[in-house]
Amino acid sequence: MTATLTPGRLRKPPRPTATRPVERRWEKLAPYGYVAPFYVLFLIFGLFPLLFTFYVALFDWNPIGEQTFVGLQNFRDLADDPRFWNALRNTFSIWIISTVPQLLLALVLAQVLNSAFLRFASFFRMAMLLPYITSVAATTIVFAQLFNRDYGLLNWFLGLIGVENIDFMSTALGSHLLISAMVIWRWFGYNTLLYLASLQAVPRDLYEAAAVDGAGPVKQFFHITLPSLRPVIIFTVIMSTIGGLQIFTEPLLLSNGLLTCGTARQCQTLSLFLFEQGFGSFRFGYGSAIGVALFAIIVVVAFVNFVLSSRLGKKG
Amino acid sequence: MNAQSPMSSKMIAAALTRRRLLALSALAGGTALTATACSGGSSASDDPNTFTFWSFTGINQGDSVETYKELAPDITVRLTEVGSTQETAQALTTALAGGNVPDLVLIQAGDMPKFMKNPGNFTDLATLGADAIQGDYVDWVIEQVITPEGQIIGIPTDVGGMGVAYRVDLMEAAGLPTNRDEVSALWPTWEDFIATGQRYTEATGNAFIDNAATSVFLQAVSQGEEQYYSRDGELVYATNPIVRQSFDLGLQAIAAGITARLESFTEGWSAGMAQGAFAAVAAPSWMLGSIRSNAPDTEGLWDIATIPGGSGNWGGSYLSIPARAANPQAAWDYIATMQSPEQQLQHFLNSGSLPTTPENYDKPELTGLTDPFFNDAPTGQIFTQAVLGLEPFVNGEFNSEISNELLNALNGVESDGAPADAAWDTAISNIQTAIGA
Repeated sequence: MTATLTPGRLRKPPRPTATRPVERRWEKLAPYGYVAPFYVLFLIFGLFPLLFTFYVALFDWNPIGEQTFVGLQNFRDLADDPRFWNALRNTFSIWIISTVPQLLLALVLAQVLNSAFLRFASFFRMAMLLPYITSVAATTIVFAQLFNRDYGLLNWFLGLIGVENIDFMSTALGSHLLISAMVIWRWFGYNTLLYLASLQAVPRDLYEAAAVDGAGPVKQFFHITLPSLRPVIIFTVIMSTIGGLQIFTEPLLLSNGLLTCGTARQCQTLSLFLFEQGFGSFRFGYGSAIGVALFAIIVVVAFVNFVLSSRLGKKG
Repeated sequence: MNAQSPMSSKMIAAALTRRRLLALSALAGGTALTATACSGGSSASDDPNTFTFWSFTGINQGDSVETYKELAPDITVRLTEVGSTQETAQALTTALAGGNVPDLVLIQAGDMPKFMKNPGNFTDLATLGADAIQGDYVDWVIEQVITPEGQIIGIPTDVGGMGVAYRVDLMEAAGLPTNRDEVSALWPTWEDFIATGQRYTEATGNAFIDNAATSVFLQAVSQGEEQYYSRDGELVYATNPIVRQSFDLGLQAIAAGITARLESFTEGWSAGMAQGAFAAVAAPSWMLGSIRSNAPDTEGLWDIATIPGGSGNWGGSYLSIPARAANPQAAWDYIATMQSPEQQLQHFLNSGSLPTTPENYDKPELTGLTDPFFNDAPTGQIFTQAVLGLEPFVNGEFNSEISNELLNALNGVESDGAPADAAWDTAISNIQTAIGA
C-alpha cells in the first residue's frame, strides 16, 4: 500500500456513497481477522492432528514402513490387552488420589485466605502460586530425591524413628501416592486462587444476614459459599479431570525415563502407555487407538463430573 | 505472500483508518501463518560443502567433527546432539516418517534392528563405496547392518567390548585377590562369579554387584551363538536354553544376596558407585567414562578384569545416511575419512571409543594404552580381546522389547519383591503381549 496520509485528507468528512458499503463489509470481516491467528493455529495443530489420530487408529501404521488398513482391530486388541486395563486403573487411581484432596484443600485454603483478619494476605496469595510456576521437571527431581529409597530425606527421617527404608516407586500404592503428592503440590495454589477470586465476589452482607438469622459457619458454607462457588468448582473439576487423566511427565521422570514406569508397570498411565507403543515400539496405529480411547474416556468422565458438580449446593 | 484486496489503492487511501489497518494486518497475519505452516519444505542446505549430522550425547562426536575440520577445511558440519540414544532414534523415526532428515545420523546398535526392517529409508552405502571398505571392520559387527539383499545400511563407529570393573580397595578389605589376572582367574564362569560375590558379601556384609539384570543376565545372554532369534530369524527367546540359563543366573545372583538393588543409570546407581555400595560392575568400554564422572573421588581405586565367559559386547553404534538426505556425498566423505582404521585409532586414543577395525587391535598404541583411573589397566587390550572372542548372533525387530521385559522381570524380583519362581513365566507372557508372538 502506498497511500500517503495527509492530515488534511483525514480531516475531511467521509464520502458516504463511495465508501460506506466497503466499510461495512470490512467491519464485518475484521473480527474474523482478529480471531484468525488462534483458529488457524488450532486447525493446524489441534483439529487436524485430532482427526488424523482417528484415521491412523484404523491402521497398522509403521511410521517408517508399511501402513495397512485393519479397521477396528486395534480397538479389539486394546480391549484384550492387560497393559491397557492396568494403565487405565493406574490413571484413575492417580487422578482420584490427586484431585479430591487437592480441591478440598484449595477450598479450605481459599476460605482461610479470604478471612478478613489475615495479615500479609497478598504475600500468602502470591506464595500459593510458586509451585505452579516451577517447572515440572525441577519439581520432579526434588521429589525424587526426597522420596529416594537409599538416600532420600524422608527415609532418613523414617529411619530415625526406626522405620525401614521404603521404596515408594516399587509398589503401585506408593508410586501413586508419590505422583499424586507432586500433582497436588503443583496445582493446589492455582485452584485456591480461583476459589478465592470467586469468594471475594460473594457480597459480605449475605453472610451477615445469615448470621443474624442464626446460621453457623457450617450452614453458611453449605448455603452461601458452595452455591456461589458452583461455576468455578465445575470449572476446576473439569480442568483437573482433563489434566489428571493425561498425566505423563511426573511418572516418566520419577521412573528415570522408563516408559513402563516400574518393572511391573505399577505406575504406567494411559499417556505413558500411548507413548511407549507409539514412540518406543513405533506402533503408531495402536498408539493412536490408545489416544482415541483416552479421548473418549476424558469426554465421558468430564461430562459425568459436570453433571455431578452442577448439582453441588443446589437445593434438593 | 500477499493478502489480495478487492479495493483499488485509491479507495484504500480514502477509507484508511487505524481500525481498518488493524483488520487488514490481522487478516494478513492469519494467512501468513497458514502459508508458512503449509510450505514446510527442507531447511537442509543446498550447499554441497555443508551437511547436517545428528548424534546422541555422551559419545563425543564433537571431537571427530573438530578433527574433520582440519582434514577438510572447506566442509561445514552442522552437528546436533539430539539427546539420549533412544531420543535420537525417536527423532530420526519422526524425521524419516515425514520431516527434515539429517544427512548423517548416529544410531545405537540396539535401535538398529527396527531401522533395518525398512532399509528403503536409508541410502545403500554400497553405492557410495562401502563395499570396498567393509572388509576393514569386525565381520559380525558390520554383518548386523547388511540386509539380506546386500545393502549396507551403516558403518560401525565403535563396539562395546566387555570387562568387569572392580574396586581394588574393597576386594582387599574382603580378603580377595586384587591383581587383575588373579581376579580374572576367580571367575572363568558366571557360577564362579556369583560364588566370588558370595565370598565378598559374607566377608563385608555389602553387595558385590550393582544389579543382577545388567551385570549378570544381560552379559551372559549376549555370549551365545543365538539370542532371541535363531539363525533363520525365527523367534526362539522362549526355547533357547541360553536365554533361560542366563535368566536363572540372574535369579541366582539375586537369591545369593550379592546385588545392591540399584538399576543401571539411575541416580541411586550413580550415588552408589561413588559411595562404594558395590565392588564390581559389568563394564563395556564406554562405561569407563561414566564411572569416571560418577565417582571422581575413586581415581586409582578401580581395575578391570575379564568378563566371565571371556567375551561380550554391549552397545556400539553405526553411522547411516537417510535416503532423503540432501547431501549424501558429503556425509559419505565424512564416514570414509573419519571411520578409516587410522582415524578410529586416533578417536580411541582421544575419547576411548573402541575401534571396530581389527587391524588396530594389535597396534602398540592401542595395546599399550593404560588408564591411570583404573590402576593403569591396559584397557585397549582387555576390551578388544572381548570383542574378538565373540560369537555373533542374529538380531531381530523385537530385540529391545524382549530384552526389556526380561530385564524388567529380573529387576522386579530384585527391587520390587516380585516372586522369583514366577519371574520367568511373567517375562514370557509379557513378551507375548508386547510383540504379539
